[in-house]
Amino acid sequence: MQTILGIPAPLLFGQLLIGLINGAFYALLSLGLAVIFGVLNVINFAHGALYMMGAFVGWFLLTHLGIGYWPALVLAPLVVGAIGIVIERTMLSRLYDLDHLYGLLLTFGLALIIEGLFINYYGVSGQPYAPPQALQGGYNLGFMFLPAYRGWVIVASLIVCFGTWLLIERTQLGAYLRAAVERPELVRAFGINVPLMMTLTYGFAVALAGFAGILAAPVYTVSPIMGQNLIIVVFAIVVIGGLGSILGSIVTGLGIGLVEGLTRTFWPEASSTVVFVIMAIVLILRPHGLFGRPRE
Amino acid sequence: MSDRPAILEVRDLHAWYGESHILHGVNFAVGEGEVVSLLGRNGAGKTTTLRAIMGLVGRRTGAIKHRGDEIVSLTPDRIARRGIAYCPEERGIFASLTVEENLMLPPVVQPGGLPVEEIYELFPNLKERRTGASGTRLSGGEQQMLAIGRILRTGAKLLLLDEPTEGLAPVIVQQIGASVRRLRDLGFTILLVEQNFHFAARLADRHYVIEHGVVVDRYSRDDINQRMGELNKLLGV
Amino acid sequence: MRLTKLALATTALVGLATGAAQAEISDGVIKIGVLNDRSGLYADLSGEGSVVAARMAVEDFGGDLQVEILSADHQNKPDVGSSIARQWIDQDGVDLIIDVPTSSVALAVQQVTSDTDTAFISSGAATTALTNDQCAPTFVHWTYDTYALSVGTGKAVVEQGGDSWFFLTADYAFGHQLEADTKRVVEENGGQVVGQVRHPLSTTDFSSFLLQAQSSGAKVIGLANAGGDTTNAIKQANSFGIVQGGQQLAALLGFITDVHALGLDVAQGLTLTTGFYWDRTDESREFSERFGERMNGQMPTMVHAGVYSAVAHYLKAAAEIDDDGGKAVVDQMKTVPVNDFFAENGEIRADGRMIHDMYLVQVKTPEESEKPWDYYNILATIPAAEAFQPLEQSTCSLVTN
Repeated sequence: MQTILGIPAPLLFGQLLIGLINGAFYALLSLGLAVIFGVLNVINFAHGALYMMGAFVGWFLLTHLGIGYWPALVLAPLVVGAIGIVIERTMLSRLYDLDHLYGLLLTFGLALIIEGLFINYYGVSGQPYAPPQALQGGYNLGFMFLPAYRGWVIVASLIVCFGTWLLIERTQLGAYLRAAVERPELVRAFGINVPLMMTLTYGFAVALAGFAGILAAPVYTVSPIMGQNLIIVVFAIVVIGGLGSILGSIVTGLGIGLVEGLTRTFWPEASSTVVFVIMAIVLILRPHGLFGRPRE
Repeated sequence: MSDRPAILEVRDLHAWYGESHILHGVNFAVGEGEVVSLLGRNGAGKTTTLRAIMGLVGRRTGAIKHRGDEIVSLTPDRIARRGIAYCPEERGIFASLTVEENLMLPPVVQPGGLPVEEIYELFPNLKERRTGASGTRLSGGEQQMLAIGRILRTGAKLLLLDEPTEGLAPVIVQQIGASVRRLRDLGFTILLVEQNFHFAARLADRHYVIEHGVVVDRYSRDDINQRMGELNKLLGV
Repeated sequence: MRLTKLALATTALVGLATGAAQAEISDGVIKIGVLNDRSGLYADLSGEGSVVAARMAVEDFGGDLQVEILSADHQNKPDVGSSIARQWIDQDGVDLIIDVPTSSVALAVQQVTSDTDTAFISSGAATTALTNDQCAPTFVHWTYDTYALSVGTGKAVVEQGGDSWFFLTADYAFGHQLEADTKRVVEENGGQVVGQVRHPLSTTDFSSFLLQAQSSGAKVIGLANAGGDTTNAIKQANSFGIVQGGQQLAALLGFITDVHALGLDVAQGLTLTTGFYWDRTDESREFSERFGERMNGQMPTMVHAGVYSAVAHYLKAAAEIDDDGGKAVVDQMKTVPVNDFFAENGEIRADGRMIHDMYLVQVKTPEESEKPWDYYNILATIPAAEAFQPLEQSTCSLVTN
C-alpha cells in the first residue's frame, strides 16, 4: 500500500475529506460571525447558542409536529433568523454607539441564558435526529466509506457559502453592505435605511447559524451544549481569517477543517488545540489575519 | 436674499456633538438653482452645518425647510430620499468597492438624475479607471470627482459639497470649478463649503460667513470686490 | 462563562450556609454536599438527578436527624471541584461529599476530604485509583469503577469471539485507565489490542478517529469514554457503516441516558456493563418510578441509584454511632452489609470499594421495547466477587499495611 509520511494514502485522503466536512460547518458559522462583525461591529457570542437552536428547531418540528428534514432545512433558519431579528431590534441595536465590548457581553449573556434554558428543559445528553431517508447509507470511494449525508453537508454548505459570497461581492445589495461596513453614516446619507439593513443582516447571519444547526442535527447529537465547544473554534477561525473578511472566513473555515483532519491522523491528542496554536502564530505574524485589511 | 424661491431655508439651527454645542442659531437660505457658499475659518461650524442638514449630528433644534417641508426631525436616509445629496469633506470613497461600484452605489431617489455617460463626460478620468481598481486607488482629484459624480446619478437636485478642492493641485481645482459651473447650468442647486475663498468667489452667487456657529455676514457676488477688505479680515486670509 | 456559573453557585451556597462553622451531629444537623457536573456532558447521568436521589434518601430516612443538602457544579475541572469542597468543609460545615463524576475531579476532592476527616462517597467517578494508590479511610467508592466495566464488557465480548480490539479513548485519567484495564482483561482472555487513538474530552466529530479504527481491521472498537463523547461516537459510527462493515462497538461506560439520547434505532445491539437497571426487580422499579415522577419521567442512571443507596447507608451509620467524623462514619458503614434495591449483600471493603453484583446488558431493538425507557436485556449477572478488583491486588495502604 502506498504511504505518505508513514500513513497509508487511503487513510490520509479519508482524513482530508472528513476535515473538509468539518470545515464546511466551520465555514458556515464563521461566515455568519464575520458578516455580523463586519456590518454591526458586534462580536456575536450567541452564535453557538443560535446554531444549537437551529438543530433543536429541526428536532422539535420532527418530534412534535411531524415535519421532516427537508422542510426543516428551510424552516429552522427562518425561525432562528426571526429570533435573531428580535434580539437585534430589542437589545443589540441599543449598543451600537458603545464600545463593542458591550455587544460581546450582551451576546455572551444571551448565550448563557439560552443554553441554560435548554439544559433545564432537555438535559445535556441530547435528542436523536436521523438523517432523511434519501441520504441514508453511503458510497464506497475506495479509500473510505463516505456516508451520503456527509457528502450532502459539503455540497449544501459550499452552495450556501458561495451564494452568500456572491450576494455580498457581486450584487448591489452586497455593495450597500460593504459600503456600510466602512462608512455606515455616509451610506445612510445616500438614502439607504442602514438600521433596517443591520437588522436584516443580523437575521440573515444567524439564519446561517440555524442552517448549520439543522445540517448538523443528523451528524452530531442534538444537545444544548453542542454549540459551546464549536463556537470557540469558530471564533479562532474568524481571527485567523481576519475579522470581518467574508472570503477569509470561508477559506479559513475549510482550511482549518483540513488541518484538524491531518492533526487527528498524526497527533490526535492535539487535534482540539492546533487551531489555537495557528491563531497565536497568525496573531504574532499578521495581527489583522490572513485575509483581513489593517484597520485605519 | 435671492429673488428665486427658496429650496432650502435654515432658521435658528442649533447642533450638538455629544455635550458640545457647535451651532448656535444658524440662519440662511438657498434659492432654486443657486450656488451658495458657506465661508469661515477652520472650526467655525461650516461642515457641521452641512452635516446637520443631512441629520448626521447627535442632536439639532431649529427649523430646516426643504421645499417648504420641515425636515429637522427626519433621519438621514429620509432626508436623502427627498432629493438632497451630500459629498463629505473626506470624500468617502469606499475601499472595498471598485470605482464603478462606488459610482453606482447611491440609490436613485428621484427621476431626472444624470445618465452615467454624462457623468463620464463630465469627469473623463473616471471612465478610464472604472473597472478593477478599488476606489481608494484613485488619486485625490479623481476621488473627488468620483465623490461628486456618484451623487449626480441619484436625481437629487440639491447638492451639499464640503470642501471639494481641499488638498488638490491647481489644475484639478480648475477642472472641478468648471464641473460645478456646468452643474449649475444643468439646474442643480449647490450649497458649497469652502476654505478656498478664491475658488468660491468665482463660482458662488452668494456667500455666507460663519463664525463660532452663527452666520455673521453675507455677501452677494457683486459685493465682494467692494468689501474684500472686511471679508479678508473675517476669514483671516 | 464557567466563572460566572461558579460565582452563582457559590453565592447560592453562601445563602444556604447557616451560622454554625462545624455542624455537630449532636445539633442534629448533617450536611450533605452533592458535587457533580450540572451543565456539561455528564450533567444528565449525574447532575440534578443525583440531588433528587439524595433528597429522596433523606426523606425516606426520616428519623430525628436534621439533614441539609447542598449542591454545586464542579464543571469537570479538578481545581473548581477541590475549591468548592474546601469551602463547603471549611465554611459550610459539610459532613459528606457525594457523587463527583469525572475521575480527575474525584481525585482532587479525595485530597481535600482525607485531609479534613470528611466523608466522601463517589457514585459517579470511575477510576480505581480512588481505592488503590489514592485510597483514604474517609472514602467509599459506591457504584462502579473502570475495573468492573472492563471485566464486564471486556471479558464478555472476547468470549463471544471479539478477540482483536481498537480503543477510542478520552484523553484524561478516566479514559487512560479504562483503556488500560480493558486491555489487560482482553489480553488475559486471549484477545489482542491492535491500536488506540486518544481524543480530546468533548469532541464533536469522531469521524477521523472512527476512520482510523475502521482501517485498523480490529473486530471490536472499544469506546473508553463517557457521556456525550460516547453517544457522538456511536451515532457517527452508525453513519459510517462501522457495524454494517462487520466491526463491533463496545461502550465501556454507557449509561441509560446515553441510550435514550441515541434512540434504539442507533443504539440497538450495543453491549455494556451497568451497576443498576431500573426495570430489574420490584424494588428497583418502585424507586425508579418515584424518581421519574420528580424528573419528568426520566429513569435513574446507575449513578443516581448509587447516590440514593449511599446516602441512605451513610445516614444509618451516622445515626447509629451518633457521630459525623468522616473516618468514624465510614468505619461504621464498613461493618454493615448493604441491602436495598441497588445492592443485594453489598459489602464495603477495607480499601473503600463497595462490591456488589454488576450486570452485562444488551440494548433492545425498537421492536423489543414495550414502554418508555424499556431499553435493556440483562445478558448476565457478574457476581460481586468477580466484578471488582480482588482485595489482595489492591495497592491501597489501608490494605497493604
